[in-house]
Amino acid sequence: MTDTHCPYCSLQCGMTLSRKGPRLEVSERSFPVNEGALCRKGWTAAGLRGSRERLTTPMVRDRATGEWSAATWDEALDLVASKLADLRKIHGADTNAVFGGGGLTNEKAYQLGKFARVALGTSQIDYNGRWCMSSAASAGNQAFGVDRGLPFPLADIERTDVCVLVGSNLAETMPPAARHLDRLRENGGKVVVIDPRLTPTGERADLFLQPVPGTDLPLALGVLHLLDAAGAVDEDYIAERTTGFEDVRRSVAAWWPEMVERVSGVEAAQLRELASLLANAENVMVLTARGAEQHAQGTATVLAWLNVALALGMPGKTYAGYGCLTGQGNGQGGREHGQKADQLPGYRMIDDPAARAHVAAVWGVDPETLPGKGRSAYELLDALGTPEGPKSLLVFGSNIVVSAPNATHVTSRLADLDLLVVADMVMSETAALADVVLPVTQWAEETGTMTNLEGRVILRQAAVTPPDGVRSDLDVIAGLAARLGVVQGVSVGYSPVNRRELPGLPGPTWSTDPEEIFTELRAATKGGKADYSGITYDRIREEDGVFWPCPEGSEGTPRMFAEDFFHADGRARFIDVAHRGAAEQPTADYPLHLTTGRVLAQYQSGAQTRRIKDLPDDGAFVELHPLLADRVGAHDGDPVVVRTPRGEMKAPARVVTTIRPDTVFVPFHWVGANKLTNDALDPSSRMPEFKVCAAAVSA
Amino acid sequence: MSEPVSDQKIVIIGGGMAAARLVEGLVARGLGPQTTVLAEEQHVPYNRILLSAVLEGTHRPGALALREKQWYADRGVDLRLDSLVVDIHRDTRTVELADRTRVPYDAVVLATGAIPSLPPIRGVVRMDGSMDPRVQAFRSLDDCARLLTLLDEQGLRDNPRLPRSAVIVGGGLLGLQVSRALAVRGIETEIVEGRDHLLSSQVDASAGKVLKRSMAKLGTQVYLGARATRLTDEGLKLDNGYTLETDLVVLTAGGRPRANLARRAELTVNRGIVVDDQLRSIDDPDVYAIGDCAEHNATVTGFVSPAWEQAGVLAEVLAGNQAAAYEGHRVVARLRATDLDVCVLGEPQNETGEIVEIANPVKGTHRKLVVRDGRIVAGALVGDLSRVGLITQAFDRQTVLGEHEAGQLLLPEPSASGSGIPQLPDDAEVCACAGVSAGRIRACRSLEDVRDTTRATTGCGGCAPAVRQLLATRPDSSPLDATQLSLEGTTS
Repeated sequence: MTDTHCPYCSLQCGMTLSRKGPRLEVSERSFPVNEGALCRKGWTAAGLRGSRERLTTPMVRDRATGEWSAATWDEALDLVASKLADLRKIHGADTNAVFGGGGLTNEKAYQLGKFARVALGTSQIDYNGRWCMSSAASAGNQAFGVDRGLPFPLADIERTDVCVLVGSNLAETMPPAARHLDRLRENGGKVVVIDPRLTPTGERADLFLQPVPGTDLPLALGVLHLLDAAGAVDEDYIAERTTGFEDVRRSVAAWWPEMVERVSGVEAAQLRELASLLANAENVMVLTARGAEQHAQGTATVLAWLNVALALGMPGKTYAGYGCLTGQGNGQGGREHGQKADQLPGYRMIDDPAARAHVAAVWGVDPETLPGKGRSAYELLDALGTPEGPKSLLVFGSNIVVSAPNATHVTSRLADLDLLVVADMVMSETAALADVVLPVTQWAEETGTMTNLEGRVILRQAAVTPPDGVRSDLDVIAGLAARLGVVQGVSVGYSPVNRRELPGLPGPTWSTDPEEIFTELRAATKGGKADYSGITYDRIREEDGVFWPCPEGSEGTPRMFAEDFFHADGRARFIDVAHRGAAEQPTADYPLHLTTGRVLAQYQSGAQTRRIKDLPDDGAFVELHPLLADRVGAHDGDPVVVRTPRGEMKAPARVVTTIRPDTVFVPFHWVGANKLTNDALDPSSRMPEFKVCAAAVSA
Repeated sequence: MSEPVSDQKIVIIGGGMAAARLVEGLVARGLGPQTTVLAEEQHVPYNRILLSAVLEGTHRPGALALREKQWYADRGVDLRLDSLVVDIHRDTRTVELADRTRVPYDAVVLATGAIPSLPPIRGVVRMDGSMDPRVQAFRSLDDCARLLTLLDEQGLRDNPRLPRSAVIVGGGLLGLQVSRALAVRGIETEIVEGRDHLLSSQVDASAGKVLKRSMAKLGTQVYLGARATRLTDEGLKLDNGYTLETDLVVLTAGGRPRANLARRAELTVNRGIVVDDQLRSIDDPDVYAIGDCAEHNATVTGFVSPAWEQAGVLAEVLAGNQAAAYEGHRVVARLRATDLDVCVLGEPQNETGEIVEIANPVKGTHRKLVVRDGRIVAGALVGDLSRVGLITQAFDRQTVLGEHEAGQLLLPEPSASGSGIPQLPDDAEVCACAGVSAGRIRACRSLEDVRDTTRATTGCGGCAPAVRQLLATRPDSSPLDATQLSLEGTTS
């Protein structure tokens, strides 16, 4: 029996694994986030164990013939390291790029960032978390001076008065979380859901608002307009704990309900209902998710809702405030420890000299040798194989060709690389394009920490030994680092790296033991915003996880901002934002809005869940309203074609009354949806606009 | 424009909503320090269209200011309040203020708005030239403040001197809003409208009839086809012989473009100041006009959204983008008043096309769309705003609709499914979290049995009520049904 957590979303539900012969069995375990509940993804999570599709030997593809052949680990790692070294010699260090994932453990994310900066010396590292909650992260940093998805435990939802969910379908994307909503309603609280689709989450709402995709921002401006007009803002809180309100207050004078109605398609009366609900509530919780965040104005959208929460005096108050419902399993921890292009461990910024000095000392290198800021995820992919861009890419924990926006273009960029290396457990769509595929362990076979959506650091523990031939990502990193010549400060292998090392320092080490790496991570995060230095594996086991910031000697911080925000003056900042609208508006040729999202039984690009036989894999579909179906002559179950300026896909129609008639929806777990999506980026978070673009549908 | 864009002096005459939006556009393009705003009112630019909301009491007056005074100063904008412009001297490219000072310009923008029409009612202006104290206009924040003072002197609602009744002259959008606002405050209101139905510029006679009926239900008497001719001590006399006893007369009878400055400067003025697609006067490349005072393509508008769109285009033009062009604008007029729902799209009185219409005078609803080539080109929704957001989107974006779609949009939305749980077919999914069908639940004996064998209710918990109901209504047959068991086998 091994106590661990689910391999999928950011709830990281607690579960227990036990061995039944060759099989692993999932059973319930009490953990505050899920209280023993699991969705079918969790219950069937062990199904990948023993899958015939599991890779158990490194594979090398012959570029000329396209044929795959098995290789030994030494052959594969030698090949990769020598190519990396050669490319670096010709094009410089930034020619080698690394792409990580929000599903990797903290230890892997940390080690990957270190590997890129120290072993490869490249600035070109980023990860798929950019496509997850980066807009909320950017907004949180601007408003609060820190980004922790939920600054309070998830179960606090049950004890607030009004919970506003903006662009979240948690009942399908993280089902056990919906229990907290139900309990809130049992306690007499109200749930508000804002979504272009009436989802199972929306069905739980006391008030459901159905805006045009891309207009959550003006809705927030309209709510604040009404709150200010009614004198319902918390003037004392604003004066004592915030700055910048006057400009924001004035800016919303231009967003009266009928103006908002025209832009958002939400009736003025509904907006008034929402404002009056908020004005009369003691505690209000505003939660955003991808629906609000995955936009070219995603950061501004989150800021606008943050302004509402701040104007009501909620952040820092118990059972109230603003939070982001992070998506990926380690979306939170993944962004804190250095696999993001602009960050070093502990949520330190890579252009901060003090941060560089601290982390370089932990790594045993000269801060001067650390590269600076690199490209953001989409910009990195967009540059691959171009004259100025990287010539190689190492991919860990991501299935880019399914999950990137404008996927056809991204696939063409991958094809122009000199070297594509993918570490994965199965032959994913991205792995299938690689030169070298490295078979790696999956969740139940390895140990490591994750930081869930609440900022709670939890521990996944290995329950079984991996199949023969499979190694951990940590082994891959150490193996490559050793070959690239920086083990214990001694140059070995293919290419002595021209790195000056500080005399007296031991030089970087490349452990493959998670707990050892975590100890190093604690030192690297010490004094940073996301301070893990007081967290140990034992504490995590004993305390049902530990919330950061947790400096040594601290009990951890389940609830933030009670006294101060993280800006130097201790105050939260109101930030004046304007509505620009979606980057791509409907035209005569593409008269509809397309939005994308998830279904319950699949996770992300489906690389894992589609290979679990107990999960239905019905393929993509196109959700459309009967009015639109009539207009284009579509019938439920019959194929329809969705086109955007970037591509097209065909899938069966699902005719439902729960979607706006001017909008179509396609789930993104299967190849296709992201051939359609727009790669317009948010100026601050560099989040692509997954959630809205112009589209046409034909039967 | 003859001057280089970089250091041109931009002078905006007017401090209304169009001017404020233009300033925001100029500031966003770095032109704030070159901008001077000459505003006649003493208030910073505010949201004029919410005045009736202030009157009604839903908005505090302080919430209307569009920017703080400091905001302008911080961005280098020279905002001069209480500054009345008397002349534009195009020869010297200066504007002259009432105090005879002159302000030089390279580009001057007229954003002078509209001037309320004063209907020719004898007795409104007294012998000494002052206005009868019972008469109020309703265009500015000061008008609104005066009215509020009258209504609620020192907050003493029981004060016998407070007005108890009011006559609103004008049955347009503003008249209806003011009437509702006063009624909400407990004032008995009556409306006098010269045309033969309410909202005559926006809706047809049958919709107007519905509106009149709704107003009557709300306690407001409406006099149509009647003109106020004289205000006496007995009250307001109408040309139909009625005399309306009243404490208050509010004038809301429309307005006309305020173009006197342009006329004096010998610029072409028809109904408004005539401008081209760059909002430039057709007579002088350094003079522009936006908002209610401007006439573009033979159209003057009295609405804020076209004014703002013009402001956006002009900011681009003044920043040097000569390709920016104003190509007209679709107007959506929304009545803002309690218990009175009206939305007018475009000009349903003037547009041609197929008319789709659904009315229920008993319920006080009248919904009409004018459709041409599958597109909604105009419409009026009275008394029932269902799907107003969707209809507005289709109108704004000129979406080509299906053959029957316009009609379907006007019909009531089909009510939510509300399917009776016991009727669920065996293959209907009850628990999405675990993927469990109604049949599999029916095959279970108890909630524990359901949890253990199907894992339904163990995810989000949302299906628990449905599961309980299914268990309660399951056919109380012998222990387990073999067919259902085998069904279960095939689905897992």
